[in-house]
Amino acid sequence: MSSLSARLLGSVSLLLVFFFGMTILVLDSAFREAGEQSQEDILDGQLMALIAEAELGEDNELQMPIDLRDPRFGNLGSGLYGAVVDDNGDVVWTSRSSLGLNVSYGPRPAPGAQSFSQVELTDGTPLMALSIHVQWELPNGELKPFIFSVAQSLDSLNAQGARFRGQLFTWFAAVALIMLFSISLVMRGLLKPLRQIESEISEIEGGRRQALSDDYPDELSSVARNMNLLIGSERGRSERYRNTLDNLAHSLKTPLAAMRTILGEQRSSSLTSKTEEQIERMNDIVRYQLRKPASMHSESFGVVAIPVKGELTKLIDGLRKVYSEKQLQIDVAVAEGLLFRGDTGDFLEIAGNLLDNACKWCRTRVSICIQPLGDAGDGSDGMRLVVEDDGPGIPETARDALMQRGTRLDENQPGHGIGLAVVKDIAGSYGGDVLLSKSALGGAKITVTVNPPAGH
Amino acid sequence: MRLLVIEDDNALRESLCRQLVEAGFGVEQASDGKEGLYFALEYPIDLAIVDLGLPEISGLELIREVRTKGKSYPILILTARDRWQDKVDGLDAGADDYVVKPFHFEEISARINALLRRSGGWASSVLSAGPVTLDTARQQLKIEGKEIELTGYEYRIIEHLMMRAGEVISKSELTDRLYDQDFERDSNVIEVFIGRLRKKMDPDNNLKPIETLRGRGYRFALERNVAG
Repeated sequence: MSSLSARLLGSVSLLLVFFFGMTILVLDSAFREAGEQSQEDILDGQLMALIAEAELGEDNELQMPIDLRDPRFGNLGSGLYGAVVDDNGDVVWTSRSSLGLNVSYGPRPAPGAQSFSQVELTDGTPLMALSIHVQWELPNGELKPFIFSVAQSLDSLNAQGARFRGQLFTWFAAVALIMLFSISLVMRGLLKPLRQIESEISEIEGGRRQALSDDYPDELSSVARNMNLLIGSERGRSERYRNTLDNLAHSLKTPLAAMRTILGEQRSSSLTSKTEEQIERMNDIVRYQLRKPASMHSESFGVVAIPVKGELTKLIDGLRKVYSEKQLQIDVAVAEGLLFRGDTGDFLEIAGNLLDNACKWCRTRVSICIQPLGDAGDGSDGMRLVVEDDGPGIPETARDALMQRGTRLDENQPGHGIGLAVVKDIAGSYGGDVLLSKSALGGAKITVTVNPPAGH
Repeated sequence: MRLLVIEDDNALRESLCRQLVEAGFGVEQASDGKEGLYFALEYPIDLAIVDLGLPEISGLELIREVRTKGKSYPILILTARDRWQDKVDGLDAGADDYVVKPFHFEEISARINALLRRSGGWASSVLSAGPVTLDTARQQLKIEGKEIELTGYEYRIIEHLMMRAGEVISKSELTDRLYDQDFERDSNVIEVFIGRLRKKMDPDNNLKPIETLRGRGYRFALERNVAG
């Protein structure tokens, strides 16, 4: 059993069955004992009444009235039977009710004693019998022993017991069900924070949430707090890592820029062009190597979902400024509410490089279309970016080479090749790919797919 | 035209400024964000070149502050962080273009010229007004298709006037445009250059491209050709 509430319900059910079973047993035996006791009392009373009604006849024979005070003795098969036996075992009297039933009254008690016994009729009806051995004093002072016996059917007692047990079972079953139901309700309430943590964690993994909320009960709040610290440090770590790399890139590139500008002041010599070449190489290395890790998006906890539309709008506004010379017509088709589950920088890197290339090469028209993959409309199953332009397009022969890092189609347009190689790297780290083809607009069509972070 | 260069790396800033001066710009320099912001707000600036990674006040904050204070001159970002995130942030803060370090001087000067032209209201790199066309990329002046030979100083003056065609440009502003370490800052020199330009562009004195406004300055008087 993996669920806490299933475990609890299982053990509570076992306990309930055990305790209620015991209770039912104890109550039932107590009830039975009380029933038997009262039965014995009743039998005792009947026996005394029977003795009281017996009379000694003239021939010193015991005589019983025809109609006894309890009419059941007179009704055949009424369930109350009586008999008087003399010392020799000869039957002196039997009640009319026992006619033809051959009621046995159990073992003979010792003189002066009485004995209870459980007997059965031939048809199996259980009876409780009481016999008493009395010495009847004859007028001549002689004592004559007689055994008076009564027996009563236990049917009604048993029926009562069965009814009692039935009621007991019904009530206990009802109580057990109500208890289990209320326990499961209580459990639901108790486990709610756990379920909340679970759903919040999956929201964090999906990037729909930044941290766990802080309204947990005491037992869980420290867990939530530690979890948040972990998430924060995870995020901080990748952020710090990136900043370190950025600062490194910055501190390497500024001297490179200074070298290049200073070289520019020395009117062309062969030394200048050779040094220039080396600066370019160093720059390429710095750009590629120091940017690459930034696109290694971290574990799923570092992910924050960013609204695609907002970021894209900022990017396009910026590009419009940069390319304001061109009368750009940028068509944007982005599904409302689409979220990119990953790093904002990574998204901007992909869209920025693609759109920048498109704006650079197009005549006037650029189009970008971003669609969610799969059934989820919010991009949790990944998304596809298609950027097209009406420029000259990318010759088929150059397509493979362009994806290699550092390759440029036009040496005068810095970063073109690195741009696409970076896009390919980032898309790859998101489990996606880049596809170059020809656009209906006439120019290049670049299709990039990205998938949600692994583990989600 | 007066440029402001805010860059904390001394070697880069000084070399860049030297070349800008050589290219005919007046240049103010600042080595940190605080000083840069002071220049940016208090000096008459036509364009600012701002490094994003500045001490004291970051480049982004500086740009936002400049824009909040209502300054609308173009701002060119220098950035070593060549991630799009930084470029987008910079452009969003109010910059107009960016150059990624390490840049060639030709690249940055082309961007500067394009930004200045755009802020003067010209869409293309070829400024055209009446029969006069000025190709700012080739630094060529043509009148009715015929090329006019100009000296560097003459070119800078006609470029400045044409870029802000219709506006009155004061003599001191033109002096700034010609500002150079070795140049004698005498407004009479401007009059001489204007006179020479008039002679070269309008030998028959019927085009009258440059108008003199007594005590106020000069104005390029020909209507811009919208289609450029």
